[in-house]
Amino acid sequence: MTIISAEGERPNAYTIVETADEAKSASKPLVPLALASEIEVPAIPYGLLVPNDAPVDEIAQHFSSVDLIAVTFPAFADGRGFSLAKRLRREGFEGTLRASGPLIADQFADALACGFDEVDLPDTMANRQPVQQWLEMKDSMTVHYQTGFGEGQSILQQRLAARKEAAQ
Amino acid sequence: MYRYDEFDERFVRERVDQFRTQIARRLDGSLSEDEFKPLRLKNGLYLQLHAYMLRIAVPYGTMSGRQLRQLAKIAREYDKGYGHFTTRQNLQFNWPKLKDIPAILDLLADVEMHAIQTSGNCIRNTTADQFSGVAADESEDPRPTAELLRQWSSQHPEFVWLPRKFKIAVTGAEHDRAAIKVHDIGLKLKRNEAGEPGYEISVGGGLGRTPMIGKVIREFLPKDELLAYVEAIMRVYNAEGRRDNKFKARVKILVHETGAEEFTRRVEDEYAKLDGPTINAPQEEIERIAAYFAAPDYEDLPAESVTLDSARREDAGLDRFVEQNGFAHKQPGYIAFTVSLKPVGGVPGDMSADQMDAFADIAEKYSLGELRVTHSQNLVLPYVKKDDVPALYTELKAHGLATANAGLVTDIIACPGLDYCALATAKSIPIAQEIAKTFADDARQKEIGELPIKISGCINACGHHHVGAIGILGLEKGGRENYQITIGGDATEHASLGERLGPGIDGEDVPGAIEAIVETYLGEKQGSESFIETVRRVGADPFKTRFASFVEERSKALEAAE
Amino acid sequence: MAKDHRAGSKVKGDKLPAILMASDLLEGDTVFLFKDGWTRDSREARIAYDQETADAMEAEGKGAAAANAVVDPYLVPVELTEDGHPVARHFRDVMRQKGPSVHLDMGKQADFGPIA
Repeated sequence: MTIISAEGERPNAYTIVETADEAKSASKPLVPLALASEIEVPAIPYGLLVPNDAPVDEIAQHFSSVDLIAVTFPAFADGRGFSLAKRLRREGFEGTLRASGPLIADQFADALACGFDEVDLPDTMANRQPVQQWLEMKDSMTVHYQTGFGEGQSILQQRLAARKEAAQ
Repeated sequence: MYRYDEFDERFVRERVDQFRTQIARRLDGSLSEDEFKPLRLKNGLYLQLHAYMLRIAVPYGTMSGRQLRQLAKIAREYDKGYGHFTTRQNLQFNWPKLKDIPAILDLLADVEMHAIQTSGNCIRNTTADQFSGVAADESEDPRPTAELLRQWSSQHPEFVWLPRKFKIAVTGAEHDRAAIKVHDIGLKLKRNEAGEPGYEISVGGGLGRTPMIGKVIREFLPKDELLAYVEAIMRVYNAEGRRDNKFKARVKILVHETGAEEFTRRVEDEYAKLDGPTINAPQEEIERIAAYFAAPDYEDLPAESVTLDSARREDAGLDRFVEQNGFAHKQPGYIAFTVSLKPVGGVPGDMSADQMDAFADIAEKYSLGELRVTHSQNLVLPYVKKDDVPALYTELKAHGLATANAGLVTDIIACPGLDYCALATAKSIPIAQEIAKTFADDARQKEIGELPIKISGCINACGHHHVGAIGILGLEKGGRENYQITIGGDATEHASLGERLGPGIDGEDVPGAIEAIVETYLGEKQGSESFIETVRRVGADPFKTRFASFVEERSKALEAAE
Repeated sequence: MAKDHRAGSKVKGDKLPAILMASDLLEGDTVFLFKDGWTRDSREARIAYDQETADAMEAEGKGAAAANAVVDPYLVPVELTEDGHPVARHFRDVMRQKGPSVHLDMGKQADFGPIA
């Protein structure tokens, strides 16, 4: 796996676990949501692996004990994860939000704008679209219309600011 | 009309460069075809039967003469000298090469145009009444709303990977010419009891495999809350719309399966949670956009034109053109015109580069430089002085653009069908051509009156056959093209879906079947009833009976021939 | 082009003889597997009369797609004219082979003359 953040490739600290025993022994377990309620809390904080159609309320119960939530993308064209990320941020999750699956570099900016911090890419994908390509595609657009998405002001906000400046 | 500011300009230029990079990455293998396909579709680029096809956005169908002239240039330099206007008020080129696309997009950007989101599973070009701003029955201009939505939906980070395509239409008039009830979201501008502006919002209309009429989920939404409310609808759809079956992925299926009431509850729930004021456009922005659509400086003219009236008495062709294609204007002394792209025997919606150039000149000379594209694949000149009509008519005629058939039986909507489209199951254009030839006689057309025929070459219904007064759907049956015929469909404020008359028939029998249906109408018609009014009154049965005997006659004739 | 819209598979009975059709990635027009590479003239298309050849041609097509030269290669069942030229058996494939029926001045029919 390759982890890509806005700054470039970063190391991965989390190991996906499938049983309670594995969760106990891993130093930084990535616990599937279905398992999270059944097992004793492992070393806090841990990571939570959630499907992209998981109810936000159910995930939110674990906010206090996790420092990373990985949302799975079964296919790059399945955009549910973007809305889930947006809702998790709105519910107050402040840890690392990871998009996990075969995303393409062209979606990087969107993922970041919806609240993700990093993408966990299968190696087959990373070979075809190396990190450098992700960083280039991230910066291919420097303006956006939507207020409340991504860094920096939206076009609408910039227009308003420009108008106020001109009026002064 | 709207003009780009520095931000819009930068956005579109950067999108062109982004797509240039995406093409390069496809060619070097960074992107597989499966990955590239949705990316190119989101920029209007299809791979069709014979070539790539580029669909260019004409936002809410509004265009300037300067833009049309640029399209003519692209048609000549990068295509085969013509373009095709679509049922979504857009324009398609049928023969561009992948390697030329960035150059074409540069030329489009030079005139404030693009191909962003004219396809793909995202929010498409927002459509509106083609007579926006000039219709006598309009209470509020829908174009500022459509422009705001165009900007907001362009490369929306959260909503570019939806379960399926998503179409929004807006109207501000009594008579719904934007077919809002068969869109994913239909917006009707209205005022509440206190006189405040806002929208009635319907969701879940659509055609395709499972045609449905949209349900009203909000009777009144204050105007300044639009973007936040649409965001709530989109988020519910993006999170919950079906992704297991592409034929069940449109929002209409979600609304249908969850129930309109429960769907509304989920939208309202989401709407209550999101922070509306941070999403909505500030009032200054709404006003900035609206200012571009302010009424032009009309001349103070008498309501009736002596020049036009006397010219009409002299020239029967002109008189007929004004009667059939003229449209009541809200400004005295002015008139709007539908310019038909349906000459008998032609390809519905096609326009040659020479015609585009000529029409750009005409729009500049007679209509303040502006034209509109209609969802029935025709054009509109919105600002014509009645005094100018005789001269305008002469010029239109010289370029083959004065066909006086707006709304008549030969003004047929047809998708490209199997002649171009990779999804088609049957031909569509040749069927339209044969029907038009059958009813070519002007007097006969006039006698039949308003009769919208709509033809689709596959179940996806780009030809809107479900809402045709007569609808024709081409399918493949037993290795042959086969056509099903419906009647009683309507896309207006009386939206209804057509009812099938009987078994599918061969393509060469379609004109005869349409004649049989028309004869039935003329026999049943009372007073000045239009076709659709007669169908509503008498029901489909008399038509079914006549259709059944037509089918029987044809099969007997075939047997005899063998 | 979506695989479920491939028309040749709907042809009843024997799927042979067959030719291999695809779209050129860069130009977008229809191309046919030739004895060596690809041709735009269907009269020159390589014809498979047996399954083994058909499979080999299909594999060659997939290779060309993987090499980013063509898109969506697939086998097209054909009949042969008196001159021995292949003509697709399904009407959709015929449309691709010839060009639009409403524009006889465009497509392969315009570039190479009438095809059967």
